[in-house]
Amino acid sequence: MIDRYDWPGGHEALWRFGPDTGPVVLLLLPPFEEANRTRTFAVGLLRALADRDVAGMLPDLPGQGESPLATDTVTLADWRVAVTALVDATDRPVVTATIRAGALFDTDAAVAGRWHLAPQSGDRLVRELTRIAGGIDRDAPVVEIAGNRIAATMIVDLATATPSADHPSRIVRLGTDPDHADLRIDAAPLWRRAEPGDDPALAALLADDLAAWSRACVGW
Amino acid sequence: MVQTGSASIEETVRAVLRDVLGLSDERVAAFDDATPLFGALPELDSMAVAGVLTEIEDRLGILIEDDDIDGDTLETFGSLVAFANAKAPA
Repeated sequence: MIDRYDWPGGHEALWRFGPDTGPVVLLLLPPFEEANRTRTFAVGLLRALADRDVAGMLPDLPGQGESPLATDTVTLADWRVAVTALVDATDRPVVTATIRAGALFDTDAAVAGRWHLAPQSGDRLVRELTRIAGGIDRDAPVVEIAGNRIAATMIVDLATATPSADHPSRIVRLGTDPDHADLRIDAAPLWRRAEPGDDPALAALLADDLAAWSRACVGW
Repeated sequence: MVQTGSASIEETVRAVLRDVLGLSDERVAAFDDATPLFGALPELDSMAVAGVLTEIEDRLGILIEDDDIDGDTLETFGSLVAFANAKAPA
Protein backbone atom coordinates (compact mmCIF):
# COMPACT_ATOMS: atom_id res chain seq x y z
CA MET A 1 0.00 0.00 0.00
CA ILE A 2 1.30 3.43 -0.90
CA ASP A 3 1.02 5.88 1.98
CA ARG A 4 2.90 9.00 2.97
CA TYR A 5 4.60 10.31 6.06
CA ASP A 6 5.19 13.78 7.41
CA TRP A 7 8.47 15.22 8.56
CA PRO A 8 9.27 18.81 9.57
CA GLY A 9 10.32 19.67 6.00
CA GLY A 10 7.23 18.32 4.22
CA HIS A 11 5.92 14.90 3.33
CA GLU A 12 7.28 11.93 1.42
CA ALA A 13 5.99 8.68 -0.06
CA LEU A 14 5.94 5.53 2.06
CA TRP A 15 5.32 1.98 0.88
CA ARG A 16 3.75 -0.33 3.47
CA PHE A 17 3.90 -4.13 3.48
CA GLY A 18 2.47 -6.90 5.64
CA PRO A 19 0.21 -7.18 8.70
CA ASP A 20 -1.27 -4.35 10.79
CA THR A 21 0.03 -5.74 14.07
CA GLY A 22 3.41 -6.62 15.51
CA PRO A 23 6.76 -4.98 14.87
CA VAL A 24 7.45 -2.98 11.71
CA VAL A 25 10.70 -3.22 9.83
CA LEU A 26 11.68 0.20 8.49
CA LEU A 27 13.95 -0.37 5.50
CA LEU A 28 16.45 2.37 4.67
CA LEU A 29 18.08 2.25 1.25
CA PRO A 30 21.55 3.60 0.54
CA PRO A 31 21.49 7.04 -1.06
CA PHE A 32 22.05 8.12 -4.67
CA GLU A 33 22.97 5.52 -7.31
CA GLU A 34 22.97 2.55 -4.94
CA ALA A 35 19.31 3.24 -4.14
CA ASN A 36 18.44 2.47 -7.77
CA ARG A 37 20.48 -0.70 -7.67
CA THR A 38 18.92 -2.07 -4.47
CA ARG A 39 15.28 -0.93 -4.61
CA THR A 40 13.91 -3.97 -6.44
CA PHE A 41 15.77 -6.25 -4.06
CA ALA A 42 14.55 -4.27 -1.04
CA VAL A 43 10.92 -4.56 -2.14
CA GLY A 44 11.43 -8.32 -2.57
CA LEU A 45 12.88 -8.51 0.93
CA LEU A 46 9.90 -6.64 2.42
CA ARG A 47 7.44 -8.88 0.55
CA ALA A 48 9.30 -11.94 1.85
CA LEU A 49 9.07 -10.48 5.36
CA ALA A 50 5.32 -9.96 4.91
CA ASP A 51 5.06 -13.64 3.93
CA ARG A 52 6.62 -14.33 7.35
CA ASP A 53 3.97 -12.12 9.04
CA VAL A 54 6.31 -9.23 9.74
CA ALA A 55 5.29 -5.77 8.51
CA GLY A 56 7.57 -3.43 6.60
CA MET A 57 7.89 0.20 5.53
CA LEU A 58 9.98 1.61 2.69
CA PRO A 59 10.14 5.42 2.76
CA ASP A 60 11.41 7.85 0.20
CA LEU A 61 13.89 10.03 2.05
CA PRO A 62 13.74 13.77 1.29
CA GLY A 63 15.38 14.44 -2.07
CA GLN A 64 15.47 10.74 -3.00
CA GLY A 65 13.15 8.54 -5.09
CA GLU A 66 9.90 10.36 -5.93
CA SER A 67 10.53 13.16 -3.43
CA PRO A 68 9.23 16.63 -4.35
CA LEU A 69 12.52 18.04 -3.06
CA ALA A 70 15.62 18.33 -5.23
CA THR A 71 18.52 16.15 -4.09
CA ASP A 72 20.86 19.13 -3.75
CA THR A 73 18.54 20.91 -1.28
CA VAL A 74 18.69 18.26 1.46
CA THR A 75 21.20 17.61 4.22
CA LEU A 76 22.20 14.53 6.18
CA ALA A 77 20.38 16.08 9.14
CA ASP A 78 17.17 16.18 7.04
CA TRP A 79 17.41 12.44 6.41
CA ARG A 80 17.95 11.71 10.09
CA VAL A 81 15.11 14.02 11.12
CA ALA A 82 12.78 12.38 8.57
CA VAL A 83 13.61 8.87 9.84
CA THR A 84 13.10 9.98 13.44
CA ALA A 85 9.75 11.59 12.57
CA LEU A 86 8.55 8.45 10.81
CA VAL A 87 9.55 6.24 13.74
CA ASP A 88 7.89 8.63 16.23
CA ALA A 89 4.68 8.60 14.19
CA THR A 90 4.54 4.80 14.16
CA ASP A 91 2.61 3.43 17.13
CA ARG A 92 4.24 0.00 16.90
CA PRO A 93 7.76 -1.15 17.71
CA VAL A 94 10.11 -0.33 14.84
CA VAL A 95 13.22 -2.23 13.84
CA THR A 96 15.38 -0.61 11.17
CA ALA A 97 16.85 -2.71 8.37
CA THR A 98 19.47 -0.75 6.48
CA ILE A 99 21.40 -1.47 3.31
CA ARG A 100 24.91 -0.05 2.92
CA ALA A 101 25.05 3.68 3.83
CA GLY A 102 21.38 3.54 4.85
CA ALA A 103 22.96 2.63 8.22
CA LEU A 104 23.90 6.30 8.67
CA PHE A 105 20.32 7.59 8.80
CA ASP A 106 18.66 5.93 11.82
CA THR A 107 21.10 7.22 14.43
CA ASP A 108 18.63 9.53 16.22
CA ALA A 109 15.53 7.32 16.02
CA ALA A 110 14.05 5.49 19.00
CA VAL A 111 13.98 2.00 17.53
CA ALA A 112 13.81 -1.45 19.12
CA GLY A 113 16.79 -2.69 17.12
CA ARG A 114 18.98 -2.09 14.11
CA TRP A 115 19.81 -4.66 11.43
CA HIS A 116 22.49 -3.59 8.98
CA LEU A 117 23.24 -5.29 5.66
CA ALA A 118 26.82 -4.54 4.56
CA PRO A 119 26.87 -1.20 6.43
CA GLN A 120 29.10 1.42 4.82
CA SER A 121 30.64 4.28 6.79
CA GLY A 122 30.33 7.82 5.52
CA ASP A 123 34.02 8.18 4.75
CA ARG A 124 33.90 5.07 2.54
CA LEU A 125 30.82 6.43 0.77
CA VAL A 126 32.47 9.79 0.13
CA ARG A 127 35.64 8.08 -1.06
CA GLU A 128 33.56 6.10 -3.52
CA LEU A 129 31.58 9.13 -4.71
CA THR A 130 34.86 10.99 -5.21
CA ARG A 131 36.22 8.14 -7.29
CA ILE A 132 33.07 7.97 -9.43
CA ALA A 133 33.19 11.73 -9.99
CA GLY A 134 36.92 11.63 -10.80
CA GLY A 135 37.52 14.08 -7.95
CA ILE A 136 35.27 16.56 -6.11
CA ASP A 137 35.66 20.34 -6.13
CA ARG A 138 35.28 21.07 -2.41
CA ASP A 139 34.65 24.77 -3.10
CA ALA A 140 31.60 24.21 -5.31
CA PRO A 141 28.21 24.51 -3.53
CA VAL A 142 26.83 21.56 -5.47
CA VAL A 143 28.64 18.65 -7.09
CA GLU A 144 27.20 16.37 -9.77
CA ILE A 145 28.10 12.72 -9.36
CA ALA A 146 26.76 10.16 -11.81
CA GLY A 147 23.57 12.13 -12.42
CA ASN A 148 23.00 13.11 -8.79
CA ARG A 149 23.37 16.76 -7.81
CA ILE A 150 24.64 16.68 -4.23
CA ALA A 151 25.16 19.66 -1.90
CA ALA A 152 28.72 20.19 -0.72
CA THR A 153 27.41 20.33 2.85
CA MET A 154 25.98 16.83 2.38
CA ILE A 155 29.40 15.54 1.30
CA VAL A 156 31.08 17.21 4.29
CA ASP A 157 28.53 15.79 6.75
CA LEU A 158 28.62 12.30 5.23
CA ALA A 159 32.43 12.21 5.43
CA THR A 160 32.33 11.86 9.23
CA ALA A 161 29.03 9.98 9.59
CA THR A 162 29.06 6.56 11.24
CA PRO A 163 26.30 4.05 12.00
CA SER A 164 24.75 4.06 15.47
CA ALA A 165 26.72 2.11 18.07
CA ASP A 166 23.57 1.47 20.13
CA HIS A 167 22.35 -2.05 20.88
CA PRO A 168 20.65 -4.25 19.98
CA SER A 169 22.16 -4.29 16.54
CA ARG A 170 23.01 -7.03 14.08
CA ILE A 171 25.45 -6.80 11.19
CA VAL A 172 25.07 -9.05 8.14
CA ARG A 173 27.78 -9.06 5.51
CA LEU A 174 28.55 -10.93 2.32
CA GLY A 175 31.13 -13.71 2.41
CA THR A 176 33.53 -11.61 0.31
CA ASP A 177 33.53 -8.74 2.86
CA PRO A 178 36.25 -9.19 5.51
CA ASP A 179 34.78 -6.65 7.99
CA HIS A 180 33.16 -7.70 11.30
CA ALA A 181 29.78 -9.44 10.96
CA ASP A 182 27.29 -11.31 13.14
CA LEU A 183 26.16 -13.28 10.11
CA ARG A 184 27.92 -13.87 6.80
CA ILE A 185 26.12 -14.95 3.63
CA ASP A 186 27.68 -15.86 0.31
CA ALA A 187 26.09 -13.72 -2.40
CA ALA A 188 27.03 -11.10 -4.96
CA PRO A 189 26.84 -7.39 -3.98
CA LEU A 190 23.77 -6.07 -5.85
CA TRP A 191 24.74 -2.49 -5.03
CA ARG A 192 27.80 -2.81 -7.26
CA ARG A 193 25.99 -4.18 -10.28
CA ALA A 194 26.19 -1.82 -13.25
CA GLU A 195 22.70 -2.94 -14.36
CA PRO A 196 20.20 -3.19 -11.47
CA GLY A 197 19.70 -6.85 -10.62
CA ASP A 198 17.78 -8.91 -8.10
CA ASP A 199 18.46 -11.93 -5.92
CA PRO A 200 15.22 -13.49 -4.60
CA ALA A 201 17.13 -16.37 -2.97
CA LEU A 202 19.20 -13.89 -0.95
CA ALA A 203 16.03 -11.94 -0.09
CA ALA A 204 14.44 -15.13 1.28
CA LEU A 205 17.50 -15.98 3.37
CA LEU A 206 17.72 -12.47 4.78
CA ALA A 207 13.96 -12.36 5.44
CA ASP A 208 14.31 -15.45 7.64
CA ASP A 209 17.09 -13.81 9.64
CA LEU A 210 15.44 -10.40 9.81
CA ALA A 211 12.03 -11.79 10.84
CA ALA A 212 13.51 -13.88 13.64
CA TRP A 213 15.69 -11.05 14.83
CA SER A 214 12.91 -8.45 14.72
CA ARG A 215 10.69 -10.69 16.80
CA ALA A 216 13.49 -11.27 19.30
CA CYS A 217 14.09 -7.50 19.60
CA VAL A 218 10.51 -6.78 20.57
CA GLY A 219 9.63 -10.08 22.29
CA TRP A 220 6.81 -10.86 19.87
CA MET B 1 40.37 -13.67 7.13
CA VAL B 2 41.51 -12.31 3.81
CA GLN B 3 43.30 -14.93 1.81
CA THR B 4 46.65 -13.85 0.48
CA GLY B 5 48.86 -15.20 -2.30
CA SER B 6 48.75 -14.50 -5.99
CA ALA B 7 46.35 -17.35 -6.84
CA SER B 8 43.67 -16.06 -4.48
CA ILE B 9 44.19 -12.47 -5.64
CA GLU B 10 43.59 -13.57 -9.22
CA GLU B 11 40.41 -15.36 -8.14
CA THR B 12 39.30 -12.29 -6.16
CA VAL B 13 39.76 -10.04 -9.19
CA ARG B 14 37.89 -12.57 -11.34
CA ALA B 15 34.99 -12.67 -8.86
CA VAL B 16 34.87 -8.87 -8.63
CA LEU B 17 34.56 -8.56 -12.43
CA ARG B 18 31.80 -11.18 -12.39
CA ASP B 19 29.88 -9.45 -9.59
CA VAL B 20 30.26 -5.83 -10.69
CA LEU B 21 29.74 -6.38 -14.41
CA GLY B 22 27.09 -9.08 -14.04
CA LEU B 23 29.07 -11.63 -16.08
CA SER B 24 28.52 -15.38 -15.91
CA ASP B 25 30.85 -17.76 -14.09
CA GLU B 26 31.66 -19.39 -17.44
CA ARG B 27 32.57 -16.10 -19.02
CA VAL B 28 34.97 -14.95 -16.29
CA ALA B 29 36.43 -18.47 -15.92
CA ALA B 30 37.67 -18.12 -19.51
CA PHE B 31 39.57 -14.88 -18.73
CA ASP B 32 43.35 -15.25 -19.08
CA ASP B 33 46.19 -12.75 -18.81
CA ALA B 34 45.66 -11.51 -22.36
CA THR B 35 41.87 -11.02 -22.14
CA PRO B 36 41.18 -7.36 -22.95
CA LEU B 37 39.01 -5.47 -20.43
CA PHE B 38 38.60 -1.68 -20.74
CA GLY B 39 37.27 -0.90 -24.19
CA ALA B 40 36.47 -4.55 -24.90
CA LEU B 41 33.73 -5.13 -22.31
CA PRO B 42 30.77 -2.78 -22.91
CA GLU B 43 29.73 -3.29 -19.27
CA LEU B 44 33.00 -1.75 -18.08
CA ASP B 45 32.21 1.98 -18.21
CA SER B 46 33.83 4.59 -15.99
CA MET B 47 31.31 4.04 -13.20
CA ALA B 48 31.87 0.29 -13.31
CA VAL B 49 35.63 0.89 -13.16
CA ALA B 50 35.08 2.79 -9.91
CA GLY B 51 33.02 -0.14 -8.60
CA VAL B 52 35.66 -2.68 -9.61
CA LEU B 53 38.45 -0.74 -7.90
CA THR B 54 36.47 -0.13 -4.72
CA GLU B 55 35.34 -3.73 -4.50
CA ILE B 56 38.93 -4.97 -4.98
CA GLU B 57 39.97 -2.62 -2.16
CA ASP B 58 37.25 -3.93 0.15
CA ARG B 59 37.86 -7.61 -0.55
CA LEU B 60 41.65 -7.49 -0.37
CA GLY B 61 41.80 -4.93 2.45
CA ILE B 62 44.02 -2.61 0.42
CA LEU B 63 43.90 1.07 -0.55
CA ILE B 64 44.20 2.16 -4.15
CA GLU B 65 45.05 5.79 -4.89
CA ASP B 66 43.33 6.95 -8.04
CA ASP B 67 46.64 8.46 -9.16
CA ASP B 68 48.00 4.90 -9.33
CA ILE B 69 45.51 4.03 -12.04
CA ASP B 70 46.48 4.70 -15.63
CA GLY B 71 45.27 3.60 -19.03
CA ASP B 72 47.21 0.35 -18.83
CA THR B 73 45.89 -0.82 -15.45
CA LEU B 74 42.62 -2.15 -16.81
CA GLU B 75 43.84 -2.96 -20.30
CA THR B 76 43.81 -6.72 -19.75
CA PHE B 77 42.81 -9.16 -17.04
CA GLY B 78 46.51 -9.89 -16.53
CA SER B 79 47.41 -6.22 -16.03
CA LEU B 80 44.62 -5.75 -13.46
CA VAL B 81 45.69 -8.87 -11.53
CA ALA B 82 49.32 -7.70 -11.61
CA PHE B 83 48.23 -4.30 -10.28
CA ALA B 84 46.25 -5.91 -7.42
CA ASN B 85 49.21 -8.18 -6.63
CA ALA B 86 51.53 -5.19 -6.41
CA LYS B 87 49.13 -3.44 -3.99
CA ALA B 88 48.44 -6.42 -1.75
CA PRO B 89 50.67 -7.10 1.26
CA ALA B 90 53.19 -9.83 0.54
